[in-house]
Amino acid sequence: MSESTTKVGVYICQCGINIGAVVDCEAVKNHAATLPNVAVARQYQFMCSEPGQEMIKKDIREFGLNRVVVASCSPRMHEPTFQAVLKDAGINPYFFEMANIREHCSWVTRDHVEATEKAKRLVQGAVARVFWQEPLESREVPVTPSALVVGGGIAGIQAALNIADAGYHVYLVESDASIGGRMAQLDKTFPTLDCSACILTPKMVLVGRHPNITLLSYSEVIGVSGYVGNFKVKVKKKPRYVELGKCTGCDECTKVCPVEVPSEFDMGLKNRKAIYRPFAQAIPSAFVIDKKKSPCKITCPAHIHVQGYIALIAQGKINEALDLIREQIPLASVCGRVCTHPCEDECKRREVDEPIAIAALKRFAADNADPDRPIKMGALTKKQKVAVVGSGPAGLSCAYDLFRNGYRVTVYEAMPMAGGMLAVGIPEYRLPKGILNREIDAVKKLGVEIRLNTKIEDAGALLKEGYRAVFMAVGAHKGNGMEIPGKDLKGAYDAIDFLRETNLGRRVAIGKKVAVIGGGNSAIDAARVAVREGAESVQVFYRRQRQDMTAMTAEIEAAEAEGVNLNFLTTPARLLEKNRKVGGMECVRMELKELDASGRGTPYPVKDSEYITEIDTVIFAIGQTPDLSLITNVKGITTTRQGIVVVDPATLETGIAGIFAGGDMSWGGGTVIEAIAAGKRAAVSIDRFLQGIDLKEGREEDPLRARDIQVTIPAGTKEAPRPPMPELKVADRCSNYREIRLGFTREMAIAEAERCLSCAVCSECRQCEVACQPKCINHDMKEEILELDIGSILLATGHDFFHAPSLPQYNYGRFPNIIESMEFERLCSGSGPTGGKVTLANGKTPESVAIIHCVGSRDSHSNSYCSRLCCMHAMKQAHLVKERTGAQVYELYIDIRASGKGYEEFYEKVQREGVLFIRGRGAEVVGQGGQLVVKAEETGLGRPITLPVDMVILSTGMIARKNSAGVASIFHITRDQHGFFMEAHPKLKPFHTNTDGIFLAGTCQAPRDIPDTVAHASAAAAEVLSLLARGKVAIEPLTAQVNPERCSGCRVCIALCPYQAISLGGTENQKTVEVNEVLCKGCGVCVAACPAGAITTRHFTDRQILAQIEGVLAR
Amino acid sequence: MPKQFEPRIVGFLCNWCSYSGADQAGTSRLKYPPNIDIIRVMCSGRVDPQFVLKAFQQGADGVLICGCHPGECHYAEGNYKAARRVPLLKKMLSQIGIEEGRLQLEWVSASEGERFATIVNEMTERIRKLGPFNSNGGGNNG
Repeated sequence: MSESTTKVGVYICQCGINIGAVVDCEAVKNHAATLPNVAVARQYQFMCSEPGQEMIKKDIREFGLNRVVVASCSPRMHEPTFQAVLKDAGINPYFFEMANIREHCSWVTRDHVEATEKAKRLVQGAVARVFWQEPLESREVPVTPSALVVGGGIAGIQAALNIADAGYHVYLVESDASIGGRMAQLDKTFPTLDCSACILTPKMVLVGRHPNITLLSYSEVIGVSGYVGNFKVKVKKKPRYVELGKCTGCDECTKVCPVEVPSEFDMGLKNRKAIYRPFAQAIPSAFVIDKKKSPCKITCPAHIHVQGYIALIAQGKINEALDLIREQIPLASVCGRVCTHPCEDECKRREVDEPIAIAALKRFAADNADPDRPIKMGALTKKQKVAVVGSGPAGLSCAYDLFRNGYRVTVYEAMPMAGGMLAVGIPEYRLPKGILNREIDAVKKLGVEIRLNTKIEDAGALLKEGYRAVFMAVGAHKGNGMEIPGKDLKGAYDAIDFLRETNLGRRVAIGKKVAVIGGGNSAIDAARVAVREGAESVQVFYRRQRQDMTAMTAEIEAAEAEGVNLNFLTTPARLLEKNRKVGGMECVRMELKELDASGRGTPYPVKDSEYITEIDTVIFAIGQTPDLSLITNVKGITTTRQGIVVVDPATLETGIAGIFAGGDMSWGGGTVIEAIAAGKRAAVSIDRFLQGIDLKEGREEDPLRARDIQVTIPAGTKEAPRPPMPELKVADRCSNYREIRLGFTREMAIAEAERCLSCAVCSECRQCEVACQPKCINHDMKEEILELDIGSILLATGHDFFHAPSLPQYNYGRFPNIIESMEFERLCSGSGPTGGKVTLANGKTPESVAIIHCVGSRDSHSNSYCSRLCCMHAMKQAHLVKERTGAQVYELYIDIRASGKGYEEFYEKVQREGVLFIRGRGAEVVGQGGQLVVKAEETGLGRPITLPVDMVILSTGMIARKNSAGVASIFHITRDQHGFFMEAHPKLKPFHTNTDGIFLAGTCQAPRDIPDTVAHASAAAAEVLSLLARGKVAIEPLTAQVNPERCSGCRVCIALCPYQAISLGGTENQKTVEVNEVLCKGCGVCVAACPAGAITTRHFTDRQILAQIEGVLAR
Repeated sequence: MPKQFEPRIVGFLCNWCSYSGADQAGTSRLKYPPNIDIIRVMCSGRVDPQFVLKAFQQGADGVLICGCHPGECHYAEGNYKAARRVPLLKKMLSQIGIEEGRLQLEWVSASEGERFATIVNEMTERIRKLGPFNSNGGGNNG
């Protein structure tokens, strides 16, 4: 394109007086005529009109123009108009540039002279730029013949039906369990006083039945990619836990569900169960289970359904409670007594008063259920045999799970009785042997073989004996001892040995003055056993401080109550001999310095602080290690320096296929419940291993932590303390091994279980499963992710209502009879909390009601806009109050907006019914003398008034939904200053967004009533249909273009592209980048970054923009 | 009476948010000084540092770049690129004698006509105080 052949036509539009009254268009035209390459310059009143357009076409013909500049309004308004003119005249439409001398010039500049100068500059810039413009062809892409409608309120329903009736497929995604939206919550609609549900539900049924509509209820859109005609949408279907096709809606499940929470549909005025149907006419008409995550279940290492058995105990269903616990662990009684209950530390009841006594409740259920209740298990379907080495909690749990899964399991136990540390570590007064053996016998009765007195010397040999897998769980039964002089003297014991011997019923010779070294549970156990074995004084020596001890606090306190003395920051240096036995102990004081890995101070001996203590027995309780003799000959299994077996923490595999390890000997040591969790983990691994399935897939731990769970404490929860565990008096304890904790009574247990807050709502008590006849409940449902191919998207996500507590002058929530308008709708509805009776909180009928308009609207303190429908809404409610109660009704308003069809007539009707309209904003609502008093100004009288009333209804305005920012971000659309989705043009395109292919319907764009919503929705549906019917759409060719000769393959652009549209290509010797024009959206980020100027965006090239810069600045 | 110094300001506005915001200032008939000439780009991330340098070279006293608010870019991340480039560019500019305040990056959404007018008002006054930019020696020191 050379200077001589370029011919630019410049057209200055007066736009009537919009530009013409401010800018001297004649002067601008004359100036334009002097610019380089300008062949003709004209000015005209309305360039966008037909004569204006003809003018351009004529000049193109006569002057041979090949470039056109129009100086008029914003290109966002009329660029396509004029581009079409060029196309008609046979010129490529991209040889066109607009100068915005209206929105950016005449409308914003006061001084006419300056406005004219600015217009000249803008025209100059446009003329300079248009010279460099190049011919471009729009791409046409096909449109996928399906639509996505997001939101199932009346707008979404209307739009979906329009599109589906036209013959195109619609996916309707609704995040609640039923469609219907806000309209389903209304009682009557203005001005006809039609019953809302009666006019809505037929449409809902049509949607449910329509062959062209796929209803995805209880689902959310989580990702959108692609472009108009070719969107890829990711939808998350939340698990309903009820199978849609099978649920008959019989409602038997709600009768047995123990959990109640406030109903969202009824605005919290009524409760619903954890399993519920949102409302009677719900579509889909199935039930849904509201199940969240409970902190107790997440925290439990074995993920026992804590909340479930607590809910069952609260209902008095003790047997069912035990069944639920035994679905997961065999040792309910044991855990109920000795578990360290990390669940109680995370129990959210702490936020009210004290955590639930979960362990005690588990014990209650286990102790008080029917002793002969069978344990559920499957048949021995699998042929493979599995060996478990060790019958402690890890081994027993693993055997229990595998056996119930159908495998043949043999447990090998070296000691003369089963139970591991449960039998030979924990003393009788904490865990009676009778209780332990009862539970082990139940496992044996199932059919699990336990071979006592059988020590396994070589784990590898088991695999050769026909066992297809081995789980090693031998525990850590070797005491670490202490390397100090005198450790081998008589009277020096290790706690592990001491406890084992006493637990096996064998006496251990201890003296009168016993010292126990250590701070863990073994130390405290040893100390309290020493008390019972007749020691006169028992002292514990711990090298750190009280708060650093790992023993359970309750145990420490019990030991002290029994006379055990605790000495802190001290450790033995050597044992002194007397008569060839322990006669004394030299200790040294310790001080704590830097924190170690466990977060506790590292102890260092204090110089010259030695002292002697007179003792005759020492019990070392400073750690234990496993006996690893069974793997000394097994090559491939590694151990750590601390002497425990190395395993994969996710699967518990050792280095040898088929051999797994867990518990104190490997991973998951420390407490009983962690050992049980390890045993369960190994059982899953072994099951997968024997089936040849991948061991790791789908077993990632849920990253959610208990402390991240937010729980709303239900209003009206009264403080109630946790009952103390009944115990033997101290005096009755110390000389015997009777069990100290006596357990809850039935009344205590049920009362305690009722304190549970139901954090997860559904407690997984499974009673609904039992009650369900069609067997459609499945608690193991998982969320599903769907990927849909969509041609066009319509958003109908609706609105929220302003919530009155933000305006404290109305005292909402402080007095019971101040309610918001939606709460009144539910009160009025036949399906609502009072069956349609308008009553006060105390059940009486109100005699006077005040309705306050504009709460949260037309207000600089909340929302400045008018919410459009609340005047009519309030009047309708006034009518309903009058009709139902005959009360005196006052409407306090600023202006009455009754502009729709039949609205003004309705206003008159309501006035004739005797509703008093007071012009004055309701300013304040207070409580005086047991009554509500509304303070306002009567603007007619010009003075303040006070209105004593029984009930106040606050007409709260519509606001953008809480999640609208997130939704806008997913769909790449913008929001206006109030948070509603932004329309492309407020007058002419109120249901388009700025993103091609995405349209808006209903209140998500702005407040409106039902008839306007329906109209808006059908209009948006028409746009969707227009796209789908055309079957193809033109995409602007404003994409990036690479000049391979300049590209050095540096790849800076690749990482910057938001759409991953650039990739490395070229040849072996010469790497250059390539742009995928389908993905590229033309943002130009790559162009600005390219150091070689090798990439450009069409129609926005560097040369074009630089020319424009020169143009506007040239003097 | 000597004429007041009238700054020349070039504005690069992104098509989706800030250009619409400036349009809205127009439809609302807000008034701001005429010293700014607006050039439309598709995204604030398109603004090449050489545009800024060219503008100063050709006689601009100030350059305004406007884009969508973070998180709302029509192209998802374009404005983040602008947000990274401009501070670096400012550092460079100060080293070659273009003072602080002459280059400004602002986020203006499509509904923020008032904000756009305020920004232009303030920037014009600020540049007026800074004085003309002399590309042969830099600022008032040249």
